[in-house]
Amino acid sequence: MSVTWRLAWRNLWRHSRRTWLTVGAMIFCNVLLVFLISLQLGSYKMMIDNTLNAFTGHAQIQHVAYLEEQKMRQSVPDVAALAASVRARDGVAAASARAVAFALASSDERSFGIQISGVEPDFEPGVSSFPGLVSEGRYLSAGAQDEIVIGSILAENLKVGVGDELTFLGSGLDGSFAAAVATVVGIVTTGFDEADRGVAQVPLSWFQQVFAMGDHGHVVVMRAQHIDAVPVLVEQLRVSLASQSTRTVRDWDALQPGLRQAIASDMASAWFMYAVLIVLVAFSVLNTQLMSVLERTREFGVMLALGMHPGKLARLVGIETLMMSLLGLLLGILVGAALTGYLSVVGFYYPGMEEMAARFNLPDRMYPEISVLSLLWGPLIVFVFALLAAVYPALRLYRLLPVAAMRAV
Amino acid sequence: MSATNTLLTLAWRNLWRNYRRTLIMLAAVSVGVWAMIFMTAMMRGMTDQVILNSLNLLPGEVQIHHVDYRRDPSVANRLPMPTGALLTALSAPPIEAWAARVRVPAVVASERDSRGVVLLGIDPATEAELGSLPESIVEGRFLADSNDRGVVIGASLARRLETDLGKRIVLMSQDPANNVADRGARIVGIYTARLQGSEDQFIYAGRAAMQEMLNIGESVTEIAATSHDYRLLGAWYTQLVGVAGPDAEVLPWPALDAFTGSMLQVQDGFALVFMVVVFLALSFGLVNTMVMAVFERVREIGLMQALGMRPGLIVLQLLAESIYLLLIGLLLGNALAWLTIKPLESGIDISSVAQGMEMMAVGSTLYPALAIQDMLLSTVVVLSLGLLASLLPAWRATRLDPITALANHR
Amino acid sequence: MEMDVEIVCLEIRDEYCMSAIRCSDLCKTFRQGEQVITGLDTVSLSIDAGEFLCLSGPSGSGKTTLLNALGGLDTPDSGEIWIDSKRVDQLSKGDLADMRLRSIGFVFQSYNLVPVLSAQENIEFVMEVQGVPATQRRLRSTEVLAEVGLAGLESRLPAELSGGQQQRVAVARAIASKPTLVLADEPTANLDTHSAGQLMDLFVTLNRERGVTFVIATHDVRVMGYCRRLIKMRDGKIVSDEQQEPHAMAQ
Repeated sequence: MSVTWRLAWRNLWRHSRRTWLTVGAMIFCNVLLVFLISLQLGSYKMMIDNTLNAFTGHAQIQHVAYLEEQKMRQSVPDVAALAASVRARDGVAAASARAVAFALASSDERSFGIQISGVEPDFEPGVSSFPGLVSEGRYLSAGAQDEIVIGSILAENLKVGVGDELTFLGSGLDGSFAAAVATVVGIVTTGFDEADRGVAQVPLSWFQQVFAMGDHGHVVVMRAQHIDAVPVLVEQLRVSLASQSTRTVRDWDALQPGLRQAIASDMASAWFMYAVLIVLVAFSVLNTQLMSVLERTREFGVMLALGMHPGKLARLVGIETLMMSLLGLLLGILVGAALTGYLSVVGFYYPGMEEMAARFNLPDRMYPEISVLSLLWGPLIVFVFALLAAVYPALRLYRLLPVAAMRAV
Repeated sequence: MSATNTLLTLAWRNLWRNYRRTLIMLAAVSVGVWAMIFMTAMMRGMTDQVILNSLNLLPGEVQIHHVDYRRDPSVANRLPMPTGALLTALSAPPIEAWAARVRVPAVVASERDSRGVVLLGIDPATEAELGSLPESIVEGRFLADSNDRGVVIGASLARRLETDLGKRIVLMSQDPANNVADRGARIVGIYTARLQGSEDQFIYAGRAAMQEMLNIGESVTEIAATSHDYRLLGAWYTQLVGVAGPDAEVLPWPALDAFTGSMLQVQDGFALVFMVVVFLALSFGLVNTMVMAVFERVREIGLMQALGMRPGLIVLQLLAESIYLLLIGLLLGNALAWLTIKPLESGIDISSVAQGMEMMAVGSTLYPALAIQDMLLSTVVVLSLGLLASLLPAWRATRLDPITALANHR
Repeated sequence: MEMDVEIVCLEIRDEYCMSAIRCSDLCKTFRQGEQVITGLDTVSLSIDAGEFLCLSGPSGSGKTTLLNALGGLDTPDSGEIWIDSKRVDQLSKGDLADMRLRSIGFVFQSYNLVPVLSAQENIEFVMEVQGVPATQRRLRSTEVLAEVGLAGLESRLPAELSGGQQQRVAVARAIASKPTLVLADEPTANLDTHSAGQLMDLFVTLNRERGVTFVIATHDVRVMGYCRRLIKMRDGKIVSDEQQEPHAMAQ
């Protein structure tokens, strides 16, 4: 280690309390950033996963106008076969066909307008979390006909339980009157009101009969092996569907534009807070380094008199800041990783958060997710800003005149 | 007294001896305070919107239903029109307006499609006082009175049903005996709302017309009251509980809309957490400044001690210095917050993330709300924690031995 | 060991044969509030290589200002300064710094060592900036510390050395780069008589054996006794310039 580096290191500890306070500010900020960014990324991922699992899947094939208007006649012909062909593709984890209709559901005591879905009982569990969340009874059986699974709130509103019958009134694809009776075989409890109020699933084949759909359906829902592979998959499907102008492939972002925007707006407000913290830490470093330069005016004056270039002195101050910031960086990441790692195992709870969490399809307990990105992102930015904060004190050295500086107290 | 005056003057001048350091700290405190208030104003603006929006949907800060209605929103669970003590209580200030309505789930069908909706049978006059009418009628007119036989639907729903002004739609619900109750009605108006979700959800019809269709006589399912300040939910709410009768359930909005209620709570808690976190980030610099101020003046402090100044006065002098710093920082930070928020109060366009905001029940414009209580809270947080942080370095200064301190050469 | 020193000395004489300073009509004024203070008033002076010269005079007579001007620490308002055949007063700040770094040694009243570096590191630090490779730095710093009589104290921090020892470290730092000119400003002001004597002996030895030119600003009569030329200043002017026989000789 050259003398300059040794000198820089020892200079740091001339005011050890000051250095520790400055490093402490960096550590505090870094730990907070590591934790918050981990929490953010973790909850975004969960938000995306939960929402996509519950409703839309990773991507859907549907009629071009269906997303906007959701009309019954905007259907996809031969939907089960299409789902089977998608399922056979590389990179597709699961695919299932669905048909959707609006109907008045009546029990003995109550009637409600509901959205009813026809699903493939064999394949729906691959694309949706609902079949796994049956709290009472069972999910639709393979090859079943007049069975229905409904959400728990809907069941309560309709005053029905497992084994009760529900009557549907609606209109078929051809405009004909559609009516049928199905037996409730299962009740789904997701914990998310929107889903518990809205789920009503019957077997697709039976649905097609009741609503005079023939072999039509409305969407093919699919899950890719990994969410990152979705764009490629969507592109491939688009190419193979190019001949049919009424059908299109939509990825989850197009299906749930609110999701990404909710994340973006949350990101924006989070980064405002991060920026404030980082600026405050930068001020702290600026303060410390300016003090340390000013109190050494005399010493620097002598060095200048000895013929040292101001650039060399600025470099010295730069190295001091570098060492201090590195210390803050390393300790911050270490402590941040330890704290976040602990919380990622035991989870973390903020009082009064349940309802907000439920609105975004999040569980009550939050689990931050540590990744290289979440560990390094914040602390590296703090590091860069700490270095930038030393620019002004270092530049002051260029204005130092040796004779005046040596006379300084 | 004059000794204290001198002390304060001394503290003030000491503050500016190292003016660069003081200016940097001032900048840091000001930015911190500004951020505290700015962020809180933004959050408050958002929360206000969420609450206002959901109150507009509810609407009314306090609602009275049949005890079973919330679990089973059917006309079977209905209430008579208010009379007697309840009517008196509803007409007394601070309640500014109240309305009784029929609110039931229903199915609406056009010749092309059908949808599930919430049917609101209202009396336009009382709802107008309540402030719960749709924001704007883009086509046609709103309901004339309670007996109006037309309906007003949302623009988005009209598109989905492929119907239009002047066309007929069929409303279907059930009467108390669980028979299907249906009626054709002409669309007399189309409205738009802040949230597309409410355009899809609510259909307005005349209350008397609905009562007739549902065969419920003069009864209603919901009575709503407002004092036009949702944050002040005081005695009038409890008064209503007393006179509403055994069949009725009186609930304030935080209980009616758990999401919104918890959001307000979480926001208040979060504002404090945010302020404390920002302050902690600041405190390192603050303590640092104090430590250095003491370090630089070891000789001076030794001299004062040698001259017989009591330790308490030395602490006081150093604390005064830090209070000056904090006060100026607070002043600047608050001024900066005021200057940056005031021009934004007319609204910030956030339509680029509108659909995401709709998940949070916020419209496409954000109105930051500068609240005096947030400015006060930031002042309290900064001053009290700031003093706490300065106490240790100041106390350490008095532990110096005067002889050693005087012998200390710089 | 004897041989080594001899070789070093020869080397030095070979490298920088002579260094002469010439200045003419130097003027410099300072402002202090409303007042204008004369620092230098048309000072002309010629110093030959190898001289051992004292600038004396009361405080404010201009001796430090002259010294700073000669060393390129301060630029005069007017006049010319030549060191050897180089015009110094017109050099850029950077070139002046280079000149100080490589061919002029400075010794100050308060030793001005870096407090967190040991005696040896203080010397090595300057050499590092001069671009001397690490191994040579180590050798040369050990060598000069021995030369100023501090062998064995290399790893002491300045605070662990006496005033005289600290000043000798400062001298070692000044001569480490083998300068041809050493400028000293009140080098003995903070030293007791014994330490002052030792320091001056060191200066005389360096002057005699290495041919290093010494210009010392002082009002310490003990120091004036060592020099061969004594210039007296008052109010920024040279009032006398005399050759003399050194009467306090090195022991």
